[in-house]
Amino acid sequence: MHVIIDGQRVPVTEGMTILEAAEQVGIHIPRLCYHQSLTPAAICRLCVVEWEGARTLVPACVARVQDGAVIHTESERVRRARRTILELLASTVDLSEAPDLLAYAAELNADLDRFADGARREFPVYDDNPFYIRDYNKCVLCQRCVQACGNDMQFTYALTVSGRGFYSRIDTFYHAPMPETTCVFCGNCVAVCPTGALKEKGPFPSPQSPVLDARPSEP
Amino acid sequence: MTEMTVDWQRVDEVIARWAPKGRAGLLPCLEEVQEITGWLSPEVSRRVAAGLKVPLADVFGVITFYSLLYERPVGRVIVRVCDDVSCFVNGSREVVQACRTYLGIEPGETTPDGMFTLETHPCLGRCERAPFLMVNDEEYGPVRGEDVPRILDAWKERVRSE
Amino acid sequence: MAEPVLLRRVGHVDPTRLEDYLAWGGFEALRRALLRRPESIVDEVKASGLVGRGGAAFPTGVKWEAVARESRTPKYVVCNADESEPGTFKDRVLMEGDPFVLVEAMAIAGHAVGAEEGYIYVRGEYIRAYERIKNAVEEATRAGFLGDHILDSDVSFHVHVYRGAGAYVCGEETALFESIEGKRGQPRQKPPFPTTHGLFGRPTVINNVETLANIPPIVLHGPEWFRSLGPEDAPGPKLYSVSGAVNAPGVYEAPMSVTLRELIEEYAGGVRNGGRVQAVLVGGAAGTFLGPKELDVPMSFSGLRKVGAALGSGAVMVIDEQVDMWEVLLRLARFFAHESCGKCYPCQLGTQRQLEIVRRMASGRIRYQDILRLRDIQATMADASICGLGQTAGNAILSGLRVMGLDVS
Repeated sequence: MHVIIDGQRVPVTEGMTILEAAEQVGIHIPRLCYHQSLTPAAICRLCVVEWEGARTLVPACVARVQDGAVIHTESERVRRARRTILELLASTVDLSEAPDLLAYAAELNADLDRFADGARREFPVYDDNPFYIRDYNKCVLCQRCVQACGNDMQFTYALTVSGRGFYSRIDTFYHAPMPETTCVFCGNCVAVCPTGALKEKGPFPSPQSPVLDARPSEP
Repeated sequence: MTEMTVDWQRVDEVIARWAPKGRAGLLPCLEEVQEITGWLSPEVSRRVAAGLKVPLADVFGVITFYSLLYERPVGRVIVRVCDDVSCFVNGSREVVQACRTYLGIEPGETTPDGMFTLETHPCLGRCERAPFLMVNDEEYGPVRGEDVPRILDAWKERVRSE
Repeated sequence: MAEPVLLRRVGHVDPTRLEDYLAWGGFEALRRALLRRPESIVDEVKASGLVGRGGAAFPTGVKWEAVARESRTPKYVVCNADESEPGTFKDRVLMEGDPFVLVEAMAIAGHAVGAEEGYIYVRGEYIRAYERIKNAVEEATRAGFLGDHILDSDVSFHVHVYRGAGAYVCGEETALFESIEGKRGQPRQKPPFPTTHGLFGRPTVINNVETLANIPPIVLHGPEWFRSLGPEDAPGPKLYSVSGAVNAPGVYEAPMSVTLRELIEEYAGGVRNGGRVQAVLVGGAAGTFLGPKELDVPMSFSGLRKVGAALGSGAVMVIDEQVDMWEVLLRLARFFAHESCGKCYPCQLGTQRQLEIVRRMASGRIRYQDILRLRDIQATMADASICGLGQTAGNAILSGLRVMGLDVS
């Protein structure tokens, strides 16, 4: 079984994702919400690739290989989608602590001021517990923290996404401060945050200090 | 309606009825509870979460996703003016304006006495009766701006006599 | 105009009374279906050429066959009654006027695919439709048309009625499943498709109200009859919701050979005040604007595709020359920003920026770079969004600008 990625014949096995197949031959596909320890959410759409014959682009993090599939990871259609998503994102939140995203943007020639006349998502910085702060001005809604808090790691369910559309946000039960939620301060959410929206305040007193690499692999 | 007295007995009956469905009972349970309580306060949501065994945060996420579920107090009477394409083409702007004038509030707001909440609404699916107005469960359309005071007067009467 | 099929009983029967439905031939199709093997019913639906009437136009029989072949149980039949596409009200008219037909169709579907449970998810704002459907389910259950051992057969089928709570996106089938499951109604990445992983992760047939309403007539009269009702590539009757600047807005049944002009001028009584068409939005907010020179297009899937539009839900919203198109575009842009679920980035961010840019243009500041920005947003949403909401969220805006004479290519 094989697929063709950017003209390269790549041997693959059943069940493998496009992302994994590309990785095998050293092709790095940009990604944001993807994290190897979490269920792929396929929501950032930065990892979209062009699959010949498909009506839309497909997210490489979840799309499974099919024998003979012809994939383009850098076509103009793909680059336009990625570039526009990053331009939209940069006009919405503060990406200054997301170096991977800034590197992708530079490579794609994205104009990060292109939508600067639009509304931003702005919040106070929440400093309501001894362990970490929540600065949602930097939150890209990748939902990794919600997943880590829930079924993917901690089974604590202190976090949710509230609201809808552009004004969705990571939230607690009726915006409760963290100490009033079910949060056990395990630190997993902080560890998986890719943009510095969640930041530890000092050494974690908990015996379960975070062990997961928060950053996506190097581009 | 910031202060409210909740008929817990009725609320608990609804929760008990949906509890066997677990999470799949959440949406209908919230809808029915809200019919009793008017809006979904933290206290009420906590009760639903416990009864259906759904995480608290998830219940809040669900409530804030749906525009017919309210996580904040709203009026006893909700005035929904359709302001979508077909209603606009038929003069919905005049109806919105008449509601603002009559109620003295903007869309999204509630009158200080807690009686009315005004909302402009995406297409309500009654385009053959455009412009269309819905007040709680009652339907009005086609409606003109000049009809609004009469309609809302009647609702005032109705609420006062309840 | 020929004798209607789908609207046959609407307005002529008391929709709350089972007796009326029975007197008009109701449940005869179910009675016959129960005497037949499930596969033969699936074959007949396939042969009829019926395709989904909700917007995606997927062949109904192919869906049914896929679920019928699944060995995992339980399976589900779901009726998508969350009609929320702006300008679309045909399903509401059917549910309010002829609710029993849905119950009958779902029971037939259950038998055909081997499902014993069904869900009808009715739009939250459709209060009367919800009550009529609930009543129809109760009445049909009491009379033995639903429940265990329907009409003393070995087929059982139970129907649950759910109400939406105000979210356009829940009309997307996987978002609808999430909603029934008690979650935020956000679409799932497909594949897997509902036929294998639908409601509660189970094989599921999900059909739109109008689609299902075609099933009893197909079972009664056969696929050849059904095919004879429309053009070769678009069999069966179609409901069109016509509204806006017309004299007689309403739901009209017609074969899909009908042209847009005929719908406006003959069915809906023409443009109000003897005026002229400025633009027509076909297919709802997710649809495409056509200009006054494009009115002779046949209102079929292929006919509309040729002019770069799509039939979608069959909504026709007529804008006459009195109307300020900018105000119309502003409402459409606002609609998508309000209804985007926020899950995937292209739609979450793109619908908001689209609204802001249209708002600026509507206030008179039209810059070339804004058109370029709108085009990139539209292309990105169309190419990279998870579901149909985002994929179509820029179509009406760009096609509207085109009809207004702006160069958007």
